[in-house]
Amino acid sequence: MDYLTKLESKSIYIIREAYYRFKRIAMLWSVGKDSTTLLWLCRKAFFGNIPFPIIHIDTSYKFPEMYQFRDERVKQWNLKLIIGRNEEKLREGMGPDQGSKLECCNELKTNALKLVIKKYKLKAILLGIRRDEHGIRAKERYFSPRDSQFKWDYENQPAELWDQYQSMVEEDEHFRIHPILHFTELDVWNYIKREKLPIVSLYFSKKGKRFRSIGCVPCCSPIDSNAQTIDQIIEEIRTTKTSERSGRAQDKENIYTMQKLRALGYM
Amino acid sequence: MKYSLKNIKKALIIGLDGVPYSLLNYYFKKDYLPNLKKILKDGFSLHPMNASIPDVSSVSWTSFITGVNPGEHGIYGFTELLKDTYSLYFPNAENRAASPFWEILGKTHQKVSTLSQKYDKKINFPYRSIIFNVPQTYPAYPINGILVSGFVAIDLKKAVYPDSIYSYLNSINYIIDIEADNAKEDMNKFINNIFKCFEIRKKAISYFFENKPWDIFFACITETDRLHHFFFDASMNEDHPYHQKFLNFYILLDNWIKLLYEDFQKKFSEKGLFVILSDHGFCSVKKEVYINRFLEEEGFLKLRKEGEFYERIDHETKAFTLDPCRIYIHNKSYPRGQISKEEMSSLISELKNNLNKLKGENGEEVIDKIFEKQEIYQGPYIDMAPDLVCLPKDGYDLKGSLDKKCVFGTNRFAGMHTWHDAFCILPENIGLPEKPSIENISDFIMQFFSKLE
Repeated sequence: MDYLTKLESKSIYIIREAYYRFKRIAMLWSVGKDSTTLLWLCRKAFFGNIPFPIIHIDTSYKFPEMYQFRDERVKQWNLKLIIGRNEEKLREGMGPDQGSKLECCNELKTNALKLVIKKYKLKAILLGIRRDEHGIRAKERYFSPRDSQFKWDYENQPAELWDQYQSMVEEDEHFRIHPILHFTELDVWNYIKREKLPIVSLYFSKKGKRFRSIGCVPCCSPIDSNAQTIDQIIEEIRTTKTSERSGRAQDKENIYTMQKLRALGYM
Repeated sequence: MKYSLKNIKKALIIGLDGVPYSLLNYYFKKDYLPNLKKILKDGFSLHPMNASIPDVSSVSWTSFITGVNPGEHGIYGFTELLKDTYSLYFPNAENRAASPFWEILGKTHQKVSTLSQKYDKKINFPYRSIIFNVPQTYPAYPINGILVSGFVAIDLKKAVYPDSIYSYLNSINYIIDIEADNAKEDMNKFINNIFKCFEIRKKAISYFFENKPWDIFFACITETDRLHHFFFDASMNEDHPYHQKFLNFYILLDNWIKLLYEDFQKKFSEKGLFVILSDHGFCSVKKEVYINRFLEEEGFLKLRKEGEFYERIDHETKAFTLDPCRIYIHNKSYPRGQISKEEMSSLISELKNNLNKLKGENGEEVIDKIFEKQEIYQGPYIDMAPDLVCLPKDGYDLKGSLDKKCVFGTNRFAGMHTWHDAFCILPENIGLPEKPSIENISDFIMQFFSKLE
């Protein structure tokens, strides 16, 4: 089996296993390249008909290209889409300029997802996070339980054996499942290339700039790049020294650190 | 190895963030700190002390706990750029390259340093530590004892070792730090919060002091630094509306130190080492000085509009500053850097010249000292050191902000850090120089524990 097929099989196995264990499951789709790859793998796992809903957390600050891409794929792939919005906070005018970026992320992303989980009584969420994405994610496991406060309850973390976690889910806890944890950024692009996966146009260079990581408009900045094709992106990532999320502001702990330092006159 | 349980030595170390030598002296003269004065008569001496360079808490406390300079421990500030990029990150305990003294004393040290090499073989017992609220020890990691991280700790669950400590701290609603941002809104409420935070910190300290076994107990008080940042102008000015409150804080502090000291004496009588120290001094601010703006005006720095923070550095940039005044030459190792090795030394002298000409109110000098990195740093991490570091004259607070329109400005802060005015209190006659540097102190702690009975 070639390398990409091995990665693919492992992911599909986890997705199928997760669905078998938790019927009340959904997949979180940010419309970015990683979760679109995960979405593709879910389609493959169930032969084109994904049996669970796909959640898109809509902060209302996403790029127009992302909304368009989302709606096209929903139609094309016949997805059961749940749009999660924290309507109450949006009505109150929550945004990156209202309060802090951290608060904005917390309300419009984390709490919006909490609302969806509660409303649909979900027990597990599939996420497209990767181990190489971020330092703090290096400790993540394929299955990681969150408590009702959404904190990663690492003390209550079951061993990573399919048959041992089942009885350990507390009433209001949900599992986070990471089927593409073993993919690297480069693997994702190579897989996108092999599968000819459609991808949001923001990833390709326009006027010497492209987005390497996408999210909300106010918190993403493009990188200098002339990569206009997937091959060129692969070449760029192979040779780059900068980190993937360097164009993104919303790493929570960093934002909070920044706030604390600024409050004391640093930065 | 055989361990003798007899004659186990004990140490109590109190860290007071940002307390200046000159203020303590002034308060002694005014007789505001009777308890501390009495302790000094018990065989201790008060010394003025130099902080680390730069004089920020993350660097200074790291220099204290490791006993080495930033060239060896690798912490140069609260902020840093990823190697050869413009991406900002916040160094934490994981970035520290030298072992703190409690790891050497606990026989758990992982990283070799000058201090560990000197004392590793001389410690004949694995001493157990409680390390409480020391800045730049986040995220918490396993030690021989208990660790509760201090500033800039974000998530309390990740700020404790072992995990079981969390439930106690959570049960008393422990707070890592006050929200300094609240000072913007209500100064009265803010200062009351400083007192509240101090109470809860004392409560937690007493709990660990009384209930958990330890050989070294090291606790830091952060509230002094916070009080000084916002109210330092009230410290000696009797007409200041917050003068009495400021003083009340010091009176509480004086009482607390007395109680802790007496407990320590009662428990361990002869065998104890008692140390108090600060990590830097404080003085009143006249003006904030935005060095990046100065570099822009002098043609050394060019910023683009797009990007965040240092990603805005343009290819024409020759030098830029990170807080508080760490100046880096934009050399060819940066993606857009143009300065070659040959151009470095003339650029450095040009920068020094221009910085020395910077004048404040009434033509006062702003820059007191400028150091090139090889003058002040030694060790394997000198490559990541700033090319120049400036220390200001008292009153001119140097800042690395990137978005300022003028070189001079004012802010809501009343106090600023000083390098030359930290303090330490140690036993008399131990051969401490009249004015030590903060990185010299842990050597005396190690000496105390390494001497054979």
